[in-house]
Amino acid sequence: MQLSTFILAFYKSVKGFALNLPMLTGIILLTGLFEVFITPEMLSSLFSGRPFYDTLIGTISGGISVGQPFVSYLIGGELLDNDMSYYAVTAFILSWVTLGIVQLPYEYSLFGGRFTLIRNLLAFIFVLLISFATVQTLQLQA
Amino acid sequence: MITKTGNTQPKAKLSGRYLLLLVALSYALLYCYYPDKTLQALLKSLSTLLHLLPVFLAVIVLMGIFTALMNAKKVSKLLGKQSGLRGWLIALIGGILSHGSSYIWYQMLVDLRKQKVSDGLIVTFLYTRAIKLPWLPLMVSYFGYAFTVILMFYIIIGALAQGLIVEKLSSQN
Repeated sequence: MQLSTFILAFYKSVKGFALNLPMLTGIILLTGLFEVFITPEMLSSLFSGRPFYDTLIGTISGGISVGQPFVSYLIGGELLDNDMSYYAVTAFILSWVTLGIVQLPYEYSLFGGRFTLIRNLLAFIFVLLISFATVQTLQLQA
Repeated sequence: MITKTGNTQPKAKLSGRYLLLLVALSYALLYCYYPDKTLQALLKSLSTLLHLLPVFLAVIVLMGIFTALMNAKKVSKLLGKQSGLRGWLIALIGGILSHGSSYIWYQMLVDLRKQKVSDGLIVTFLYTRAIKLPWLPLMVSYFGYAFTVILMFYIIIGALAQGLIVEKLSSQN
C-alpha cells in the first residue's frame, strides 16, 4: 500500500467532512438551543398519567429532546417517582436515543427523503413496540 | 466529473448553508428577547463541539483508513447484499461500539452506501446505537438490571427487524 494512497484517502475524508461543516455546525447550534429552551420541567409537565397517551407523548418528547442519554434517565427516574407508567418512561428514554428531529435536515440532505422517512417511521413504530415488549416481559419476570 | 468506470458524479458542494443561516438568525432573534439563555445555548453548543471533536477526528481517520484499504468490491463482499450473517454482525457490533451522536457517523455511512453497503445494514447500525455502553451502569442504577437487560435485548431484535424490513422494501423497489 503506497503512502500516496493513504494521503489521498485522508484528503478525501477530510474534504467530505469539510463540505458538511455548515450543516454540522447548524445542527450543533440547534442542539444548544433545544437543550436550554426545552427544559426537563417542561417535558415532565407533558405527561398526564394515562398510559397510552403518555407512551405517545414519551415517544414524541424524547424525539424532540437533545442531550446526553443520562438526562433522559434523570427525567425518566423522576417520572417513575411520580407514578408515571413504565411504558411511557421506556418510550421516552428509547426515543431520546433513536429519534432525532433536530438532525432530520442533515439526514435528509445526505441519505435522501425516502431513506430518512422510512428509517424514522420504523424507529417511531419500534419505540412503541419495544416499550410494550420490555414492560410486558418485565411484568412476566416479576 | 467522469469516473474511471464512466459514471457521472455530481460536483461536491457545501451542504447546510441555509440551515446554518436560519439557526444563526434564530440565535440573533432569541438574543433580543432572552440574551442570557441564548448565550447559555451558544456555550452549550461550543461545549458539545469540544466534546465531539475527538470523535470527529476518529471518524475522519476511520474513513481515511477505510477508503485506503477497502475498495468497492471488498466492501460489497463484507457489507453488501450478499454479506449474510457476517454483515449483520458487523452492523450490530459496530453500532453498539460506535461513540458520540449519530449524525457524526452519517458521512461515513453515506460513503459506505456509495460502495454498495445495503440500507438495511445502515438502519441496523443506526438503531443499535441506542445501546450506550458507557451509560449502562447509570441506567442500571435508575431502572434496575432486569429492565436494562430486557431493553437491550429488544433493541437488538428491533434493530435487526428494521434492517430486514428495509432490505425487503429495497428489494421490492
